[in-house]
Amino acid sequence: MQRAMQPTVVLLKEGTDTSQGKPQLLSNISACLAIAETLSSTLGPRGMDKLIVSERGDAQITNDGATILKLLDIVHPAARSLVDIARAQDAEVGDGTTSVVLLAAQMLKEVRGYIEEGVSPQIIMKGFRQACQLALDRIKAIQVTVDKKDPESFRSLLLKCASTSMSSKLIHSEKPFFSNMVVEAVQCLDQEDLDESLIGVKKIPGGGMQDSLLIHGVAFKKTFTYAGAEQQPKSFRDPLVVCLNVELELKAEKDNAEVRVEAVSDYQAIVDAEWEIIYRKLEAIEKAGARVVLSKLPIGDLATQWFADRDIFCAGRVPTADLQRVVQAVGGSVQSTCSDIRREHLGTCGRFEERQIGGERYNIFEECPKAKTCTLILRGGAEQFIEEVERSLHDAIMVVKRAVKNGDVVAGGGAIEMDLSAHIRKHALSIPGKLQLVMIAFAKALEIIPRQICDNAGLDSTDVLNKLRMKHANGEKWYGVDVDGLEGVRDNMEAFVWEPSLVKVNAISSATEAACLILSIDETVRGPQSEAPSTGPRAPPGTAQRALRGRGRGMPRR
Amino acid sequence: MAEPQAMYATDEYGRPFIILREQAKKTRTHGVQAIKSHILAARTVANVIRTSLGPRGLDKILISPDGDITVTNDGATILTQMEVEHQIAKLLVQLSRSQDDEIGDGTTGVVVLAGALLEQSEALLDRGIHPIRIADGFDRACVVAVEHLEKISDKVEFTLSDTSNLVKTAKTSLGSKIVSKEHDKFAEIAVDAVLAVADFERKDVPFDMIKVDGKVGGSLADTTLIKGVLVDKDFSHSQMPHSVRDAKIAILTCPFEPPRPKTKHKLDITSVEEYKLLREYEHDKFHDMIKRVKDTGANLVICQWGFDDEANHLLMQNDLPAVRWVGGPEIELIAIATQGRIVPRFEDLTAEKLGKAGIVREVSFGTTRDKMLVIEECANARTVTVFVRGSNKMIVDEAKRALHDALCAVRNLVVDNRVVYGGGAADISCALAVAKAADETPSIEQYAMRAFASALDAVPLALAENSGLPPIETLAEVKSRQVKEGNSVLGIDCMGRGDNDMKKQFVYDPLISKRQQYLLATQLVRAVLKIDDVIVAGQAEE
Repeated sequence: MQRAMQPTVVLLKEGTDTSQGKPQLLSNISACLAIAETLSSTLGPRGMDKLIVSERGDAQITNDGATILKLLDIVHPAARSLVDIARAQDAEVGDGTTSVVLLAAQMLKEVRGYIEEGVSPQIIMKGFRQACQLALDRIKAIQVTVDKKDPESFRSLLLKCASTSMSSKLIHSEKPFFSNMVVEAVQCLDQEDLDESLIGVKKIPGGGMQDSLLIHGVAFKKTFTYAGAEQQPKSFRDPLVVCLNVELELKAEKDNAEVRVEAVSDYQAIVDAEWEIIYRKLEAIEKAGARVVLSKLPIGDLATQWFADRDIFCAGRVPTADLQRVVQAVGGSVQSTCSDIRREHLGTCGRFEERQIGGERYNIFEECPKAKTCTLILRGGAEQFIEEVERSLHDAIMVVKRAVKNGDVVAGGGAIEMDLSAHIRKHALSIPGKLQLVMIAFAKALEIIPRQICDNAGLDSTDVLNKLRMKHANGEKWYGVDVDGLEGVRDNMEAFVWEPSLVKVNAISSATEAACLILSIDETVRGPQSEAPSTGPRAPPGTAQRALRGRGRGMPRR
Repeated sequence: MAEPQAMYATDEYGRPFIILREQAKKTRTHGVQAIKSHILAARTVANVIRTSLGPRGLDKILISPDGDITVTNDGATILTQMEVEHQIAKLLVQLSRSQDDEIGDGTTGVVVLAGALLEQSEALLDRGIHPIRIADGFDRACVVAVEHLEKISDKVEFTLSDTSNLVKTAKTSLGSKIVSKEHDKFAEIAVDAVLAVADFERKDVPFDMIKVDGKVGGSLADTTLIKGVLVDKDFSHSQMPHSVRDAKIAILTCPFEPPRPKTKHKLDITSVEEYKLLREYEHDKFHDMIKRVKDTGANLVICQWGFDDEANHLLMQNDLPAVRWVGGPEIELIAIATQGRIVPRFEDLTAEKLGKAGIVREVSFGTTRDKMLVIEECANARTVTVFVRGSNKMIVDEAKRALHDALCAVRNLVVDNRVVYGGGAADISCALAVAKAADETPSIEQYAMRAFASALDAVPLALAENSGLPPIETLAEVKSRQVKEGNSVLGIDCMGRGDNDMKKQFVYDPLISKRQQYLLATQLVRAVLKIDDVIVAGQAEE
């Protein structure tokens, strides 16, 4: 206090928030735990959903870890790293986003005591990295590879992976139905490339989710049509399809062009010329033999009626993504001019039809020769409902895709985590020094997954975990949590609760990295909020004061 | 909400930290408390429309912010117009809307069922059963119920000549509506309309071909079905003949004007001669147009655009009745009905492109000078128009909605001709089947299944209550008779006819409608039960 007499050195801008040292580290850990706690109840087959309402009043119901974190709009710097790993997991494997966050948070929680006791974060990080390596090696050692050569058994593997990924979601009760759909969808794709963006998803409210269907081909909603469209034929067999990027409308050719008509007799010539332009386009299309005409740009009423006259189907303003998928499916290419359309520019499909689905009419292309694409049409009682189905299916599709790429699986339901935990624990006991403690902490952190599954399902987690530890100590490496049975544990490999091993490899390594990252931070320097902060001028008055007060109280303790 | 603050965490040093943006404004409800508040919201919504169920159900009056008044009995309409705020309540609104989109009928029933299911699950939650297990149990029960529905369903036979069964179904659907006084007439209109447009091979009923138009005036009994097209327009010149027999119709989408290029253009007139030339040109054009139309043999012109007095006069002189400013969809409908082609310019007009209709006539109403154009005896008989009359706008609107429901009910039968019996008979029968299956289920789900069975009773209960019968007593009696006699067609006798046999009273519901109700309601309940955490961002301030 005496030193207060000395002149203060102003180093940083007024209002800069600096916090450093151990308290900072611990407070970061608490922030991460708070996030993980929110997420924890969504894990496992009895996980619950979150309803998140944004400022604009849009509601989303979801069970997907990455989606929840995105919607929560987290600003705490350390906690944001958790959001990032969830997002990375989502992008990389698409599933296991909740587990990765829980793992990272639990690792931090386990070492918190050591930090308080003054163990250097560096040592902990070293221990974590070693343990992580051990875990990854162990997964590689015990994973089960499924033979891709036998299509029958490979397909059943994919089905199981898909249904495990769905078990925590809303569509849980229709698992067999949807996993079949997902696997078929993925198998539709080019097996080399597996570009999941070629799986189109269309949502139509109404109907039960059992009424969802998979179309081997492309489907898109009937576009806006002009008078005359109803007179066009609505179904074809083996039509030629032309995809255009041309506007077929009677209109001024150039916006700012002006014509000077010298004599009255020329007047009709101009009019005729304009008609000639559009008619020439239309005739070129007809001559090419196309029966289905699609365009990215509008097709006007004149063209619609002209086509109707000649029994040709047309649709204008087709969304780009849909048109792209049509091209992928039927072959051909998108034409940006009507002159010189040759046969090779046209695609074809086995059957084209306009069909009523629920309250909407859909244009459906089926039996496409190049079918490397398919469309999922999802039905459900409410919009949020269908959206959640879509997210769940996305996860499942990603998992199946990963499984197709490398057919290695491990048992889910906490089995693999228990095994890794046992393995690391055994190894830790053989090494001297502080690292031993850290590795045991890592091993313990892995147990959060089975524990949380039990908690969410209302089972006695301590009891179940003890049973599992016993089983794993006896070398029964695939024992995991069973939420349905009376015992609470079972061999999940036999029960077909399978997950691609890649999901776990990625989850464990990124969780470790995130934990290490947070541990290595010991100081936050936050610049003062600029005058017009992006958060809007209505930052709650309480927050800033609280943050200031917090700093004032935290510092003098050192 | 008990915890006004979302996530407010402090570390060991008492330092609070901000994790979320705008944290202080977010509200969070968590756990069982969240589920319960959802259940409460859903029940409130269900209770609002419960009283409009059944033939003795009452109507609601809804006043929009603009002061527009809607009187209706249709579940989906009530919920849509109520503009609910609560998130879960919004789900219910969507639920009834999707029943409306898919089936078009039974929108009240589905919400009442969902509300009842949630009410039942509240009791189970209090007993400490995990929400997801409740949902699992409901799912299982739903499967049993749907299977049972198929078992008790009956096929109704109908042919184009014998439509009595379809009429009865339409009557059931209309029974609760404002038009019930005229429901014989409306039911027949609905059946005739659907049968006129139905494609029996593909089992498809294109609703686009049925146009429902309404006009205030007259009474509901004056409602008619026009086998053709009705256009709210009159002939362009008052001296034109008011009806045309054996009409050959030219359907044009170009104006009766000298054609103009779309490109911006300018014509400089510098001398009198040129001006005269222009005058001449225009004059020639008009004559040319009329001639072209005449040459094809057309005796009626329907134009999407307008034409000025000169053209009007010329048309009149040449005995060409014409209609102007007919909208795009109507043009299309006329073209389909008369099997004509829409012609974009006069040069393309040929005799084959003309539409044909037996009679086109102008009708006027009462003392008003409103006139409408009726096109009948068209070449293609598959377009129909229902023209609804009523003493005021609200009644006309409600009658249109009722008619839509009836059309949907008939369509559903054309698509799938299996029916179950209404008046709660199917619900009671399913309740019994589910209750029986529950006793055979070994796990905890049996409680949920039993709850599902009691929730199914909600529909007959509400029916009885709305009909002024003692609900519990009536239900108990019917239920016991169903068990004793093994007869699944016994239901609530809402109309007091002294007979509980719904088969004899001809109270039918299409099977797909009932099935859809069960599936949708169960899925919604699962979605609601699965939510244990609600995070609401603060309202954006002005």
